[in-house]
Formats: sequence, C-alpha cells, structure tokens
Amino acid sequence: MRLFWLSGLLNKLSFRPRRLNTALSLLLGFCSLFVASMSSASGLPGGEYLLTVTRPGSTLNIIDVAADKLVKQCDLGIGPGSGTLVVSPDAKIAYVLGNYFSDVYGVELDSCDVIFSTRQSEGNIRVKSIGSLTLSPDGKTLYTHQNRVRLERDHYEVLDSTIAAFDTQAGLDTSAHKVFASPRQITILDRLESGELILGGQDVFLMNPDTGRYETILESLSLNDPAFAPRDVLTVWPLSSINNEFIRLFSTAKWGDEPGNLETADWLWGYESVDLATGEAKSTIFGPLEVALFSGARRPHHPNEMYGVLNFLKVFDIDSATELRSTPVDHSYYTLNFSKSGDKLYLLGADADVGVFDPDSLEQLGVIPLPGDGSLANSVVIER
Amino acid sequence: MKHLKPINRKAEQLVRNESNPLPSEGEVVAMQTVVSCTSSTDPGWEIDMFGSVSGLCQPMESDLYGCSDPCWWPAQVPDIMNTHPDWSANAPSAAKDWRNLESVYPSEEGSS
Repeated sequence: MRLFWLSGLLNKLSFRPRRLNTALSLLLGFCSLFVASMSSASGLPGGEYLLTVTRPGSTLNIIDVAADKLVKQCDLGIGPGSGTLVVSPDAKIAYVLGNYFSDVYGVELDSCDVIFSTRQSEGNIRVKSIGSLTLSPDGKTLYTHQNRVRLERDHYEVLDSTIAAFDTQAGLDTSAHKVFASPRQITILDRLESGELILGGQDVFLMNPDTGRYETILESLSLNDPAFAPRDVLTVWPLSSINNEFIRLFSTAKWGDEPGNLETADWLWGYESVDLATGEAKSTIFGPLEVALFSGARRPHHPNEMYGVLNFLKVFDIDSATELRSTPVDHSYYTLNFSKSGDKLYLLGADADVGVFDPDSLEQLGVIPLPGDGSLANSVVIER
Repeated sequence: MKHLKPINRKAEQLVRNESNPLPSEGEVVAMQTVVSCTSSTDPGWEIDMFGSVSGLCQPMESDLYGCSDPCWWPAQVPDIMNTHPDWSANAPSAAKDWRNLESVYPSEEGSS
C-alpha cells in the first residue's frame, strides 16, 4: 500500500520543475542510504550499545545508549525463538537462540553476517533449548541445555536432558563436540569467570565443563525451610551481563503464628544470585510482595538498589527490605537493563519498544520503537 | 507376522520395524513443553498470583508472543514451536496486527 502511495506521489510530481524532482531524488537517495546503514553491512563505531532481538523472525536490534536510538539491525533470516542472546568477550559477535528454540546463531555485529550456527536436532531426535545458552569466558565454546525427544512412528519418547558444547570457530551447522547429562527443566545458563557452568532450573546447579559433574549450589524447589512457603521462581531472562552476577527473582511467604496460615504470613520478594567472579551463591529477601514482577536486577554502582518490573517498575532498598519508589508502566515489560554507568534504565521484552527511565526518579525519559515484538528476549549492553 | 499382509501405511511401518519393538512404559519424567504444546497445562489468561487479574500482563497483546512462542498457552493458541510455525507470520506486532491471527485447522500433513 505504501508503494502505491509513493508511486502516486511521484506521478503527481512528474510535471513539477526539474529542481524539485532533483531534490526529491536526493531525498529518496538519502533515505535509501539510511535504510541500508540500518540493515546491512555497515560497521559499528565505538560506543555503548544495547542489543536485543525482536520477532517475527529473529532481528538483532542495536541501540545507541548515548542517543537512545536504534542505529542498526541485523536480520538473521531465521524464525523466532526465545531471542535470548549472549555476546562474545570482544563484543564483536552476538549469539542468538532462534528458529523456534531449535538452534543458536552467531552474527557479526559489524557485517551482520551469520558466521556460526548449531545443529542440535539429529535424525528423529528433536532438540529444543529454552533460553539456555552461554559462552565460555574465552568465547571459544558455546553451551546449550538440550531438551531431547525421539519422534517415533506413533509415539514420542522423552530422552534425558543434556548440556552440549559447540566450537564457536566451527562455522555453520555445527554439531556438539561434547555432551553431558544434565538436570531436567533448565531454562537459563551462565558461567563463572573460572569457566564452571551455572544451570538455572528447579534449583541452581554448578557444572564442571570438563567432567560434566554437577552439584546444587542454591536450593530453590528442593528447599525445605519450615519458616517459609515454597518459593515460586520465574527463570527466563539471563541478566548477568549487568553486574557480572547470575540473578533471578523468587516470591515466598514467611509464616507468622503458624506454618500454612496465609492470613498471618508476610509475602516477600527475594532474589537468588551467584557472583560470577567468586562463585558465592546466596538468597536475599529484598522487599514486600505487593505486585507481580517478572525479573529484576541490582543497579550498577548502587548494589543496595534492587529494580523489578512487569506492570509496575519498582525499586527496593535491599538492606532494609523496603520499597523506595514505584511507578506504573505503559504496558507490561518482562525485563530490564542498565547503561554501564547505571544512570539509565531500560525496560524491554513484550510488545515492541524499549522504555527509557531515570533510575533515580523513575521518570520516563523516552521510548525507542522497535519493529515486530520483543517477546521473551533479554538484552546485553556492550562497549566497543 | 509373515502370514499377514499390511494394507495401510502404518501397518507397513510396523512390519518394517518389527525387529525394533516399541519400548515398554518408561519412567515418568518432567517435561518442558518440547514435544508439543499440548504436553503443558499452564493456563495463562485466567488469574494472577493473587487470584485476581490486575497482575496479568497488560494489555494482553503485550504478553501474547512471549507466551505462545514457548507454548505457555497450550490450549488457547496454536503450537508455533512445532506444528504451526507460520501462525503469526502476518502479525509481526501482536498489539497492532492481532486481527491477522486466525484459527488453524488440521491438514492432510497434520500441520498448517
């Protein structure tokens, strides 16, 4: 429809003075150049960028943090997935889980070329990964958690889950070179600076990437504390790039006069975290549970401030476990991120925009429209 | 089996695979909605964690793909992950294009 509109406009202008047509040509040429720079092989200059993925396919959006503008897009040419992404240590390659949760694709940020992809499914064994990918500290190995099903002629056979390792230098359609048995129902992965893998699922596990041996480092579902109700955890968005800290929210109730009495219980938000530098794992209560929150993280350079979001954006003082600030948001946002300085807060996931906020006042500074839909995507802020 | 003649495709498959019998009932294991969306029964539209609706995603369209992509709403939307990957192809934005999201029906191949 827009093409017809443009064609009609050109026809109407065809009898106009030559100078106008020349100006129009220059304008259209400029627009073409602008679109080309948005979508193809222009390099990415130095700066701070927020990366996130939108559907209906898998499009990597690169947002200039200084200007809060979308400056580049890379269409990976695949179907949607979780849109979960991790970035290589040199900030040159983004690895995106796409194509209906089937495979991970590595795209060069400068050229938009897809230079790496996994082949997880083989024969009649179908593999899906749910938001679970991470890179080794040197960027040479990509890990995924694999949910495997054998498709038989008249039934499906659910197979054991695995952690798979892929060589990121191996190019396209790469098979795993190492596979370990894994706990089931893992939805996000991460890794310590020392290289051990963190598996986020019913509990939080630590796996040795050489031997595949793993242990529980944070009890969540298996926690049996008589003073508290069982935890409810939503584990979808890896947020460790913000503070070098694996973090996920949980809700619980602290029993009052008697266990199980909901009327006298205190409803609480907490977070489970693992310091990626030291490996220290802990659970922390940070505030009262009054509204649903989907994800949250601590603000860079303000480690005592916890931010959470869904229909409200809330800030909590961790030490006192009290709410500091709260504001409703225009629509649900699943997740958040910060500029490296911690001076700007970004809300994203769900719908098709990134909301920009002042973390001190929670005043909305702007909205960055994105194409399509953010769905389950996380984000990563890089500096180049 | 050697005295029986298969008369349809499934029977032929059974004959071809008679040396590879079906496994017996295995251990019940937790799944992760990867076989098909119908393996999960997580309702998403009814009530929030407080038994109300104010904690549900708002508007509903902002939550549509975040839930349908990973098969979070098995009964209400088609299985995008496996059998109906093109269901949302004409609706890039759920908020703006939801009218293009239509019902799906079985085809001869068993998908859309």
